Amino acid sequence: MPACCIIPPYILRSIVLRGDERQRSAAWATLTDSEQIRGERRILTVLAPLAGTATGTRRRTIYDARRGYSLPGRLVRGEGDPKTRDTGVNEAYDGSGATYDFFYRVYGRKSIDNRGFRLDATVHYGVRYDNAFWNGRQMVYGDGDGRVFRRFTIALDIIGHELAHGVTQYEANLEYRGQPGALNESFSDVFGSLVKQYRRRQTVGEADWLIGEGLFMPGIRAKGLRSMSNPGSAYDDPLLGRDPQPGHMRDYVETYDDSGGVHINSGIPNRAFYLLAARLGGFAWEKAGRIWYLALCDKLSTHAKFADAMNLTVRTAGELYGRNSREQKATREAWAEVGC
Amino acid sequence: MRIMFERTGGFAGLKLKASFEADSLPPREARRLHKLLHDSRFFELPLRLESPASRPDHFLYRVTVEKENCVHSVLASEDAIPGGLRPLLDWLTAAALRLP
Repeated sequence: MPACCIIPPYILRSIVLRGDERQRSAAWATLTDSEQIRGERRILTVLAPLAGTATGTRRRTIYDARRGYSLPGRLVRGEGDPKTRDTGVNEAYDGSGATYDFFYRVYGRKSIDNRGFRLDATVHYGVRYDNAFWNGRQMVYGDGDGRVFRRFTIALDIIGHELAHGVTQYEANLEYRGQPGALNESFSDVFGSLVKQYRRRQTVGEADWLIGEGLFMPGIRAKGLRSMSNPGSAYDDPLLGRDPQPGHMRDYVETYDDSGGVHINSGIPNRAFYLLAARLGGFAWEKAGRIWYLALCDKLSTHAKFADAMNLTVRTAGELYGRNSREQKATREAWAEVGC
Repeated sequence: MRIMFERTGGFAGLKLKASFEADSLPPREARRLHKLLHDSRFFELPLRLESPASRPDHFLYRVTVEKENCVHSVLASEDAIPGGLRPLLDWLTAAALRLP
């Protein structure tokens, strides 16, 4: 561990704010590393007694930013506390619990870092704020502008999506740009959708494969924000325009915006996952989800592109279900169908 | 004075873009905009306010102001926005969405 990690994070934050460019860059790198370090297996024995918790125990803490931008905000509901009168608070609490339960019961994963990481979430962030994000430490949800978007805690798959960014951060740590960034987004959509399907006990055929269903205000012509089964079909509205997601490599979008189109090109691996799940049938989290989860944890690395994801999920399917098994063939076919 | 505003990224990945001519705004709104620019010390802000690595689902804002033959443009990512700039970004976002 570099010696700089001894500097307390608040000092580093102060450097980020006040130092010269070189200092700022170093301090940022250290802060980011410190956050990564919690996921490193090699220091588990050192940190576990300090930061850990009983295995399989949920530790949810919900905060209220009261329409401001300071994080985390005022504590409004801790683990085991009764429901509040605030729907957003309860949705964030229940959604974090459902996501925790999904990863623990299906894949045996103990929270974001697999060591009982506390699930912190802030609601009512900002003024009519149209977003939800994972900031490396916690989830953050806006109330929506009330014209196009409703509150971002409304859809369970959004909560699952944000927490899955945390899982990715501690595992493959996919760089958030270009193809690795689109894979990062896609893994969040995949597990966000699986959290919802698991909660509803839906089979591949019963699931809607939509991300953000219910997020839009009435009158907006949208089924959701993204469709995993048919990318590009989620919305077509005068105000929003048309869903730009491709579902095939021939339509891959080269752009500088959105970190190189991470929310656009994620449609391609999203559809590959859906096609695999559809080929295998049953509950998508059981086989397709397991292949994706193990590839994310044990195989993929920071700069992975779509071709790497294809190769490594095919290899994972072979390891789990046998070479040339039905599952491995289906994985290969699913990627081929999206042009990889 | 002309202001161009762009917000990209975010969970939805939708781009929000708008430009405003201060002279064509209702006088009250124009005064408000001038005050927000002044309070944020916009022309003293660095060109880029961002963390080195992009972070999941974060917004990226670009604000460009043309005023009396002077142009200043600031790119700011969600986790690097100074508190003083927030009210200006909130105003521009609401105006771009045409919120009441």
